[in-house]
Amino acid sequence: MNPQLIMDGLIAGAMIGLGAIGITLTYSILRFANFAHGEMISWGAYLALATSGLLGSLSGALFKPVGPFSFGWSLPLAILAAVALTAALALLVDVLLFGPLRRRRSAIIIMVMASFGASLALRSLLEFLFTSKPVYFSKALQIALPLGGGLRATPDQLLSLAVAALLVIAVHILLTRTAVGRSMRAVSENQQLAGVAGIDVRKVIRTVWVLGAGLACIAGVMAGLLVQIRPYMGFDLLLPLFAAAILGGIGSVPGAMLAGLIVGLAEALGVQLIGAEWRAAVAFMILVFVLLLRPQGLFGRAE
Amino acid sequence: MTEPHSIALSTRALVAGYEPDLPIVRGVDFSVRSGELVIVLGPNGAGKSTFVKAIAGLVPIHSGATLLGDFDITAVPTHEKIRHGLAFVPQTENIFATMSIHDNLLLAANVLPREKRSRRVADLYAMFPDLAARPSLRAGLLSGGQRQMLAVARALIVEPSVLILDEPSAGLSPKIVQDVFSQLKAINDTGVTIILVEQNVKAALAIADRAAILVEGQLRHEGPAATLAADPIVAELYLGARHAGKAATP
Repeated sequence: MNPQLIMDGLIAGAMIGLGAIGITLTYSILRFANFAHGEMISWGAYLALATSGLLGSLSGALFKPVGPFSFGWSLPLAILAAVALTAALALLVDVLLFGPLRRRRSAIIIMVMASFGASLALRSLLEFLFTSKPVYFSKALQIALPLGGGLRATPDQLLSLAVAALLVIAVHILLTRTAVGRSMRAVSENQQLAGVAGIDVRKVIRTVWVLGAGLACIAGVMAGLLVQIRPYMGFDLLLPLFAAAILGGIGSVPGAMLAGLIVGLAEALGVQLIGAEWRAAVAFMILVFVLLLRPQGLFGRAE
Repeated sequence: MTEPHSIALSTRALVAGYEPDLPIVRGVDFSVRSGELVIVLGPNGAGKSTFVKAIAGLVPIHSGATLLGDFDITAVPTHEKIRHGLAFVPQTENIFATMSIHDNLLLAANVLPREKRSRRVADLYAMFPDLAARPSLRAGLLSGGQRQMLAVARALIVEPSVLILDEPSAGLSPKIVQDVFSQLKAINDTGVTIILVEQNVKAALAIADRAAILVEGQLRHEGPAATLAADPIVAELYLGARHAGKAATP
């Protein structure tokens, strides 16, 4: 067996984990499976690409690769703008679609179906604006560095792993050590009581959209940087995202990240043992087994 | 804090319920003076819980008004009511069970100015030493009585002028009920106006100044608690007892 599958699995798992954090937060607070979350990944990547291109056209020096990486300063700057724009997009979808449904106290199935509709509309709009042709942040070739033990990784891959780890720690601290995090946990547990305790539930919901969309954007940029950017990139990640969110335990940020790594590693193992065409089946099997054997996931509490 | 004997909270022709065409509370005029402890009684399904939930902002109000002192809080969002001095303790699920005792209190203290938060949490620990003993304990592991104390502490952290409790004795043993009611009486003695919805009529009437009886969503009787406790007709008609001496318990 090629040990490189560990590195491939970790890199894919980091992207899955970041996306799954958004899924787990929106599920735990809004109580529905948001199938439009994958589109935030795609939109985040395209918005970063467009902004990076704009910055690069203003100053060619911003395209010049930084250190050992394949991208110039235009990309980190574009990520900041793309995170804000993706968050704004998530808030817009909430204002136009999910917010009115919440006010009507719509059933969960209606929210889920609405998220399917939003997903289709957002993906189609993306294809209309950018076409379905794959695009890249950079076409520079990177040489993978030997890490020992038969593992190799490019500087971009190592940076992506480090960024993912830092973001997970930051979100975990936000949720467990800050007033904002306590409010989010309170709304997740009991919205009515949270309101009575003085928490503005609508504000918490907005915070969750912003946080989830921001992380999805960064996951999208990682996917774009390490693979390619396509309108279907977020949609294709949906199954592993949900597998990771459920395996980690709904509401658990470290759980989502750990489960993302497990799903990524399992997919990489599956690709090596039984073939790349079975990659999606691995995530699906994980999802089914978790739902049957431990529906509360690794870090969730049984109802 | 409002002036002694001024109106702390009142409702005017309050109509409320989950559906507009199916009101549960039907035109209730009710008032509580500052510093009073008033118990709201009535048979099952009378609309007692819906009434106090409507005041707290958890049930839609279709017409009428709710006033805190002279200030109309009918349209004030639920989460803003506590900033105006109205605290509410629901009957069930009244603490955040997955959080620690300390996080429950810190969460409630968020509505206070930053410089006041630590002092108020310390004040509440002094008032409820049982909670201070294990602040990092997950609140879901507390006993029924301790949960009620935490729920009351959470509500008191903002020093409310009016505290509303929906059946705080529900599910508690008689001994614990006495402890909870003694604590509520002690809180009331500090000047906090309390409105108490209760099924445990005998114990509640013993600490209340006044009682109001709701029947079918309407206010049917009001009077001093001692008078109502001794009134055999009231006891038989509304409290589920054959004789006043057997005033109802659930």
